[in-house]
Amino acid sequence: MMPPERRRYSRMLDTLRPVTTPELIELQLHPAGLLVRSLAWLIDMAVRMGITMALGIPLSLLGKFGGGIMLLVYFLLEWFYPVLFEVLGGGATPGKRSLGLKVLNDNGTPIGWGPSLTRNLLRAADFLPFAYGIGIASMLLHREFRRLGDIVAGTIVVYRDALGGLPVIATAPPLAPEEPLDRMTQRALLAFAERASNLTPARQEELADLVPYLSDPQASQTRGPRGAARLVGLANHLVGRQA
Amino acid sequence: MKQEQFEQQNEASWQAFEAWLKWHGKRRKKDIATAPFANSEMPERYRLVCLQLALARDRGYTQALVEYLHRLAQLGHDELYGAQSGFGQRVLHYASGGFAADVRANAKWVLASALLFFGPMLAAMLAVHQWPDFAYLMLSPEQVANFETMYGNESRSLGRVARDASTDFQMFGFYVYNNVSIAFRCFAGGLTAGVLTVFYLIYNGLSIGVVAARLGEAGLAGNFYSFVVGHSTFELGAIVLSGAAGLKLGAAILAPRRMSRGAALRQAGRSIIGMVCGLAVMLFAAALTEAFWSPLKLDLTIKLAVGGVLCALTLAYFALAGRHDGT
Repeated sequence: MMPPERRRYSRMLDTLRPVTTPELIELQLHPAGLLVRSLAWLIDMAVRMGITMALGIPLSLLGKFGGGIMLLVYFLLEWFYPVLFEVLGGGATPGKRSLGLKVLNDNGTPIGWGPSLTRNLLRAADFLPFAYGIGIASMLLHREFRRLGDIVAGTIVVYRDALGGLPVIATAPPLAPEEPLDRMTQRALLAFAERASNLTPARQEELADLVPYLSDPQASQTRGPRGAARLVGLANHLVGRQA
Repeated sequence: MKQEQFEQQNEASWQAFEAWLKWHGKRRKKDIATAPFANSEMPERYRLVCLQLALARDRGYTQALVEYLHRLAQLGHDELYGAQSGFGQRVLHYASGGFAADVRANAKWVLASALLFFGPMLAAMLAVHQWPDFAYLMLSPEQVANFETMYGNESRSLGRVARDASTDFQMFGFYVYNNVSIAFRCFAGGLTAGVLTVFYLIYNGLSIGVVAARLGEAGLAGNFYSFVVGHSTFELGAIVLSGAAGLKLGAAILAPRRMSRGAALRQAGRSIIGMVCGLAVMLFAAALTEAFWSPLKLDLTIKLAVGGVLCALTLAYFALAGRHDGT
C-alpha cells in the first residue's frame, strides 16, 4: 500500500518525489531522465578516455611493467571511477556535476560507500545485452527513471540547482484589493509579479487580461493603474510593502 | 505576518547559513576564524530554516521564496545527514570479522554456489579421466596444446630464469583486471534472475576441471598444482562467494516472498555488498600470490605446505572470526 501522500502525488503528472525529513518538512527530489543521464555518461566517458591516454603514453615507455600498471588503471576506471566521485566528490561524477545532476539515496540523504558500490558494480547487469540495453529499458519504464543498479542500491539521480539569491518582486505603489482575495488568487498574483520582469510588456498585458476583475475593475471609485501594473501593485500589497 | 516583514526579519540568518554552507563546502582551507558561525550551531540553524520553510509554505508566500528556502534546507540536509565518519575503522571492523559473519549468514547461498562450481569441476575431471577427448568439447585442440606447453617441463615461463619482475607485475595487473571483473560480472549477472551467475559458475567449473584433468593425464600434474596451490583457495573461494551474491540477487527477483521485488532486491543488495567488497580483496590477494609467488620454482612440498596453510587459515577465518561481536 502506498502511503496517502504517495497516492496524492502519483495522480499528478509531475515526476517529483517528496521525501519527509526527520524535521518533518517535505523535501522534493526532481529525478533526472534518460537523456541528461546519457549525456553525463558521455562526458564521463571522455574524461576516462582522457585519463587513459594521459597515463597510457608515458606508461607505454615502461614496457611490461607499464603494461601492468595500465591494466590496473583500466580496472580502477571501469569499476571505481564513479564510486570515488560519488562518495568523495559530493554525489556526482564530473559529467553529472557539469549537468547539475547528483546521486542521492531515495530518502534524500547523500550517498555512502555501500549504495554507491552497489549501483556501480551492477552497471555490468544494466549494460547487458549490449550498450546499456537493460539499463535504458529500466529507466524508461520506471517512474523515477532508475536503472536496475539504482533499484537495488535504493538510489536516485536528481537535478540539483545551485543556490540563487532571493527573488525580488518589482517595487510599485501597493494597491489594496477591492475585496478579500482567496489563497489561490493570492498565489497566482504573487507568481505573476515574480515572473513579470522576464516577460515582454505585451505578454504581461495579455496575461493580465485573463483576470479583468483584478486588472481592470469597473467600479467607479477604483483609482490607480490598470492592467499588469495593477497586478504588480496588488502583489506589492500582498507581500506587505508600505506605500 | 506579511512576507516582506518575514524576509526582513530573517534575511541575515539565511545569508549566514548560506555563507556557512559555502565555507564548509570548501575542501582545503577550513579556517575556523572565517566561519560565519561555529559548526556546533549548524543543526539548530538548520532546524530553524526547516521551520521557516514550513511557515513559508503554510502562509502562501511567493513560490520563489519557498524555493529559496527549500534549496537552503536541502543543502543543510545534505551536510547534516551526509557526514561520513570512521571509514577506516569500519573497514577494519569488517575485515576482522564482519566479512566472515556475512559469509556464514549467507551459508546456504555459498553452499549452492559451491555445488554449482565444484560439481561441474569434478564431473569434468572424471569425464576427462574416462574419455580424454571430452576436453575438446570445452576447449579447442590448440588451447589444450597451449596449456600443455605452458605447464610443460621445458616451459621456462614458470621459473625465475625467463620471467623477470616486470613480467610478474604485468601478470599481476592482468589477474586483477581479469579476475575481479569476472567476479563482479558474476555478481551482477544475478540480476538476470540468476541465469548468468549459474552459467558463469558452471562454465568456469567445467573449464578448470577440464584443464586440471587434461594436464594430469599428460603427466604434468606436479607442475600444475605447484603453480595453482598457493592462490587457488583465495581465487576459487572468491568465485564461489561472487556466485553466492549473484544467486541471492537472482532469488530476490524469482521469489521476493512477502515484499515487492524492488524491496526484496534492495534488502538483498544491502546484505551482500560487503561480501562483494570482501571477495574483491580476496581476488586482489590471489592476484598478488599468483603473480609473485606461484611462478617460483620451488620444491613441490614447500608449495603444497604453503598452499595448505593458506587454505587452513582462510577456512579458520570464515569459520571462527566475528563470532563474538555482539552483532
